[in-house]
Amino acid sequence: MEFAIISALNGVIYGLLLFMVSAGLTLIFGMMGVLNFAHASFYMLGAYIAYAVSSIFGFWAGLLVAPLIVGGVGMLVERYLLPRVHAHGHAHELLLTFGLALIIEEAVKLFFGDFPVNYQMPESLRFAAFSLFDTNYPFYRLFIGGIAVAMFIALWLLLSRTRTGIIVRAAERLPAMAEALGHNIPVVFMSVFGTGAALAGLAGAVAGAFYPTNPNMGLELGVIVFVVVVVGGLGSLKGSLLASLMIGLFSSYAVGIDWSLATLFDLAGLGGWARAVGGLITMEVSSISGTIPFVLMLLVLLIRPAGLMGERN
Amino acid sequence: MRTIIPAAILLIALLAVPPFLGLGWQNALVNLLIASLFALAFNLLSGQAGLLSFGHAAYFGVGAFATLHLMIAVEDGLPFPTPLLPLAGAGAGLAVGLVAGVFATKRSGVYFALVTLAIAELFHSLAPHLQGWFGGESGISAMRMPWGGFVFGSLLEVYYLTLGWVVLSILVLWAYTRTPFGRLTLALRDNEQRVRFLGYDAHAAKVVVFTISAMFSGVAGALLAISNETANYALFSAHVSAQVVLHTFVGGATIFLGPVIGAVVFTLFAYIVSDLTRSWLFYQGLIFVLVMLYAPIGIGGVIRHHLRHWRSIDWSRLAAPYALAGVGGAMIAGGVVFLTECVAILFGEEYAVAMRDAGDTLPPFEMAGMSWDPLGPASWLPPILLLSIGGLCLHRARDRIKPLWDAIEGGAAKEGTR
Amino acid sequence: MKKLSLLAALSAGLLSATVAQAEPLKIGIIESLSGAQTSSGRLYATAIQYGVDKINAGGGFNGEPIEVLEYDNAGGAPGAADKFRQAVADGVDIVFQGASSAIAGQITEDVRKHNIRNPGKEIMFINVGAEAMQLTGDQCHFYHFRYTTTAPMRVNALVQSMRQAGDLGTRVYSINQNYSWGQDMQAAIEAAATDNGYEVVDTVLHDVNKIQDFAPFVARIKSAEPETVITGNWSNDLLLLMKATGNAGLDVRFGTTYLDQPGNIANAGETALGHYIANNYDNSAGEPAFADAYKEATGHYPLFVEPQTIFAVGALGEALSGVDFGGGEIDVTTIAKALEDTAYETPVGPITVRPEDHQTIRPVVVSKVVRNAKYPADDTDMGFEAVNVVAGEDAIYPAQESCAMDRPD
Repeated sequence: MEFAIISALNGVIYGLLLFMVSAGLTLIFGMMGVLNFAHASFYMLGAYIAYAVSSIFGFWAGLLVAPLIVGGVGMLVERYLLPRVHAHGHAHELLLTFGLALIIEEAVKLFFGDFPVNYQMPESLRFAAFSLFDTNYPFYRLFIGGIAVAMFIALWLLLSRTRTGIIVRAAERLPAMAEALGHNIPVVFMSVFGTGAALAGLAGAVAGAFYPTNPNMGLELGVIVFVVVVVGGLGSLKGSLLASLMIGLFSSYAVGIDWSLATLFDLAGLGGWARAVGGLITMEVSSISGTIPFVLMLLVLLIRPAGLMGERN
Repeated sequence: MRTIIPAAILLIALLAVPPFLGLGWQNALVNLLIASLFALAFNLLSGQAGLLSFGHAAYFGVGAFATLHLMIAVEDGLPFPTPLLPLAGAGAGLAVGLVAGVFATKRSGVYFALVTLAIAELFHSLAPHLQGWFGGESGISAMRMPWGGFVFGSLLEVYYLTLGWVVLSILVLWAYTRTPFGRLTLALRDNEQRVRFLGYDAHAAKVVVFTISAMFSGVAGALLAISNETANYALFSAHVSAQVVLHTFVGGATIFLGPVIGAVVFTLFAYIVSDLTRSWLFYQGLIFVLVMLYAPIGIGGVIRHHLRHWRSIDWSRLAAPYALAGVGGAMIAGGVVFLTECVAILFGEEYAVAMRDAGDTLPPFEMAGMSWDPLGPASWLPPILLLSIGGLCLHRARDRIKPLWDAIEGGAAKEGTR
Repeated sequence: MKKLSLLAALSAGLLSATVAQAEPLKIGIIESLSGAQTSSGRLYATAIQYGVDKINAGGGFNGEPIEVLEYDNAGGAPGAADKFRQAVADGVDIVFQGASSAIAGQITEDVRKHNIRNPGKEIMFINVGAEAMQLTGDQCHFYHFRYTTTAPMRVNALVQSMRQAGDLGTRVYSINQNYSWGQDMQAAIEAAATDNGYEVVDTVLHDVNKIQDFAPFVARIKSAEPETVITGNWSNDLLLLMKATGNAGLDVRFGTTYLDQPGNIANAGETALGHYIANNYDNSAGEPAFADAYKEATGHYPLFVEPQTIFAVGALGEALSGVDFGGGEIDVTTIAKALEDTAYETPVGPITVRPEDHQTIRPVVVSKVVRNAKYPADDTDMGFEAVNVVAGEDAIYPAQESCAMDRPD
């Protein structure tokens, strides 16, 4: 019971972090049809910039500045790099951002080295929010979750309840018409891309203080985030929220499960045979919890190729 | 005839020269051949069928492991000719590619890219746990067994075996593009809807292309296994998948031999530069992005463009601006390298120690055998000069090259309409 | 730059060959000098260079200074295989490597095959950091020497010392990475239980360097109510585990093996206080002169994997001092035999080579993270303080039966 509740809490928080990163990705894709391969690199960049700024001006300054700088980088990429390859199709946009991801990773290594850097949350946030079954639940976890929720609400309100949202949606559906109505479409797209990047930067600045900040964090999280958007359906905010939470919870619970396929065979009385075969069959779920998102993705592809909330291909 | 003669000369060179090269170069050539085949196999899917895969390491790796298992069996007495070992890689690539292809081709476009990436990650994360198949994290190992009078002990024998398989595979892949199905592959990229209307099952066709591509990737992996005599799960890493993407698109995905050009350039680049500087991966990424931005058709595409218009190019007028562009490019490259290496040193651990020893001031640093003062203007003048003058050169060169090329292309277009 | 000096060295080597000079001994470092493990790779390379410089200051070997060539394996076994062939082409006699057992597995196999195919031109592999049991088990061969500990040595020393200090308790939790090293650790933790009076309350193996959030594992650890958690985790996996434990307020003591990796103490912060580590060396256990001399040459005190690497080169130097080729051709087999017989004296005790499997028998130092340490870690006020030095013969385990070594006559 204790394990179940704590794991549920942890799973939700981790899921919300995944959502924070995938939200920006899915926002950009939904609006512009560009899959930004460098999105997870923006997440990493956010963490490193926040680290650099916070070591001089304090944690909150880092938290504020990192999304702004990363958002600015995103806008520059959208304004000056993407249009150059736009004529060659989406594949080239994907390749360009893929190259940017490589460069960002190597540049981070150039400046900050290969070690994880010492990016810490401030002491004022380092306390237990509450105690459950004698285990302290760190406040900072709730802080990460809270920021993700606030972000989701703000995005949703912005897109569905404000005039800006109407313009953005118009720019997505009928760019030519929106332009004819006097809206500056390039600026709209640039802002959308910048916002998406800034969200990733914010996620990095917040999460980097809790999880380690190292040059691999982009790739590690990036792969999971890509799985999230495939499972949730690209371009659907709700879908990525659902998929993030699912993957967060599955990963969290898998740790406590010592079952393997052999356990299933036991039910059929074939456990002995299965254990003799070994290999995949005897692998315990807990030892391969990192694999679960990928398996989930393959299952979704089989059952519902467009993703849980995605529209058709 | 025009393509056969250079190809024959190249083949003769590849056959005749290596015995006179040192072990280091022989080794580099083996890597280069393997990378070329891998890039070609990858390009069948990404360039010709338009399905961009970010997870081809999976099929490359599977081919390597299957071959090693066969090699172990041969070591234990199975009578199997060593030169035919890559068949195991081909078979494994085919089988795994078929299953993965069914999943991956359920989606197209960016989804396809993400799914292939995730499938490779699945292999990468599972392989270290499967002791029997992949030998844990230290991998599996075997030894090449003598066969038919060949010992397969020396690198040179391995080189010729690799060369044989690569040339054969390239010929088969080239022949494939000439078949009706090869044409259909291109149609999948250009207009999938139309393929469907013509009565073909587009999904099945994609699966077939995926499988063939995976099969030849498996052959490339097999050749690596034969040359290394070991394989470990690192073969499944995202890095391997990324390299083949880089090779293919820098070389040019729309040209049959483009990926080979990319593979040659980057393998040689890695061979020469990787021990020179720690930032070589950074430069590699930079080259890739620059090619994507300024020559999206790749190096091969640029070469083909020139060959096509060879007769109408007036070199007496083009040579000067081209030379200017070359000088400008070299200067900018020099400036970027200078700055990058400065950053690498100034932000490096050794410099941090030197800084602490110097009492938190900025001591001078050593680079290229010279001492530089990080605060002195003399240190930053060279890169600034290189970058600005180089940029100016490139700008001027572009202004002069563009009208010349417009004239050439205009002339060609006129000829076409006539 | 390295390539240029390498080219210079090579051409110099060619020249000298024509004027019939002595053959220099060539050492090849095949390390992870780019990629995720770069930081460790650099430490190995620095320490090897330091050790070789010392030998060369004493006159080198065979009438020539020893040459050191660096190769970047790009952090993976395929890269290592490639660079090994390059090293063969460059005429390297002895290969050094340490970061990653997977890469060591590749190199040791390559060395074995090379030696089978090139009798008389053998190459030797001195492993300064790869601890997988199979390297001295079914992969063992005469030309591989392991100059570091293995999981049973570290665990035995760790639990003995923690028990003596009264910090072990009777309930021990084992959490490790799911690959050979972690599995070796888990087996060693379970094997040492009865002798040291503890019960292994639960074991878990997890993915290597993939877990972003260790809180679920902490929840699982807590439900088993251990007093001590023993883990062989390194890098992120260790850091995240300790941070998650600290955040949950779980009061357990950690017994670790790689806590001294640079950056760990700073990153873990106060959470690290009171935890233990079993390692090859710690500055607080040895002689200040050793640490000071290293700092003089490199700018920092020897840390993490550097001491064991310095000892390995030192042992090689001692072996070489007993070998004389009279300026002629170098025979690696003779050097290997000499190294096998070398007992090298370190500041914490002697290191000898066990002839059956070429594992070194060596002291293991157990230390604890304390405040105001003599050698602070990562510019913090914390650092390691040795609590015990377990002598080689007390930490060693019987040679593995899977090792069948063919000896040259």
